[in-house]
Amino acid sequence: MHIEDGILSAQACAAYYAVTAGTLVPGVLEIKRKVSENTYYKPFLAMVGVSVFVISAMHLPVVVTGSCSHPCGTPLASIIIGPFASIVISTIVLFFQALFLGHGGITALGANTVSMGIVGSLSGFLTWKLFRACRSPLWLAAALAGFIGDLATYLASALELAISLHGNVPLVRQWMIFFMGYGPTQLPLAVAEAVFTAAVLQAMLSRRPDLLPNILTKREMMKRKGFNAND
Amino acid sequence: MQTTKPTVQKHGIKWFDSFTKVMLTVMVTLLVVIFISGKYMYAHDMEAGGTDDKVNTMATDVSKSEHHPFTELPGDAQVGAFSVANFFAGLIVGHHWEMLFCKRAPKEESSLEDQAE
Repeated sequence: MHIEDGILSAQACAAYYAVTAGTLVPGVLEIKRKVSENTYYKPFLAMVGVSVFVISAMHLPVVVTGSCSHPCGTPLASIIIGPFASIVISTIVLFFQALFLGHGGITALGANTVSMGIVGSLSGFLTWKLFRACRSPLWLAAALAGFIGDLATYLASALELAISLHGNVPLVRQWMIFFMGYGPTQLPLAVAEAVFTAAVLQAMLSRRPDLLPNILTKREMMKRKGFNAND
Repeated sequence: MQTTKPTVQKHGIKWFDSFTKVMLTVMVTLLVVIFISGKYMYAHDMEAGGTDDKVNTMATDVSKSEHHPFTELPGDAQVGAFSVANFFAGLIVGHHWEMLFCKRAPKEESSLEDQAE
């Protein structure tokens, strides 16, 4: 999903920058609010930010397609630090990846943030919330958030390219053509991201559930502390 | 640099505690998967390129333009850049993971909050 310079038109780049700027405001406000509420939020933010940097630059080979791709890490980030804070983190991550690692372009930074930051974070977070609202087990909700957040990122990236470049070809057709460039390789990695998201969240909660307020329901929290929820 | 003194004094430093064992197992598993995949792809003349590059090329085939990353890292410079980035990223993640999740002696709990601030 790292779109490079020279592909999108100047108007498209400006539009994606504007969308990104619009979501950075609530992101910064979310960070400020959570820092004042939770003492441990700052180290979480640093840890998650660096993790997203590494995960989204980690190219893994997929034998069935003979190519490599990378997971995103933003679905997990959105669950732990919040969806809008995750967008802020993604913008910083993508900027440094473009600047130092040759991953993506600077003119396409807005477009890459829209796909990985905004769509990846929000789709992962909404999936998580939806399944938790349906009383789904924690591991399942986290895994589905990871899976859907990952694929949604690449669908968004393919859509960005299709919107700019479809010409006389129907938009949906061009979208699917670009997505087929990502999809077959990304599907196994989305499964890996699902496992990773569930495993890391479970590991964090098994050690310090008190550091992650709003992740566990009251009933689950009491169960972990050894109380009977019916008492 | 802080150390967990009670653990060091009473039990000595463990080379392979449970956390290290789990992390090493995950790392070796991933490396084996990458190694086997690489061998297979090499044997079957697969390119093993990134999908990002593949789709960027597809896009420029349509737009009839040239695509390029903001920074070009030739040859081993890319390995070097990734190694440096990942080494220091690992240190930062490890530092914060220890601060947040490490099992500590009760005395250290109070200083933990100071560090977090």
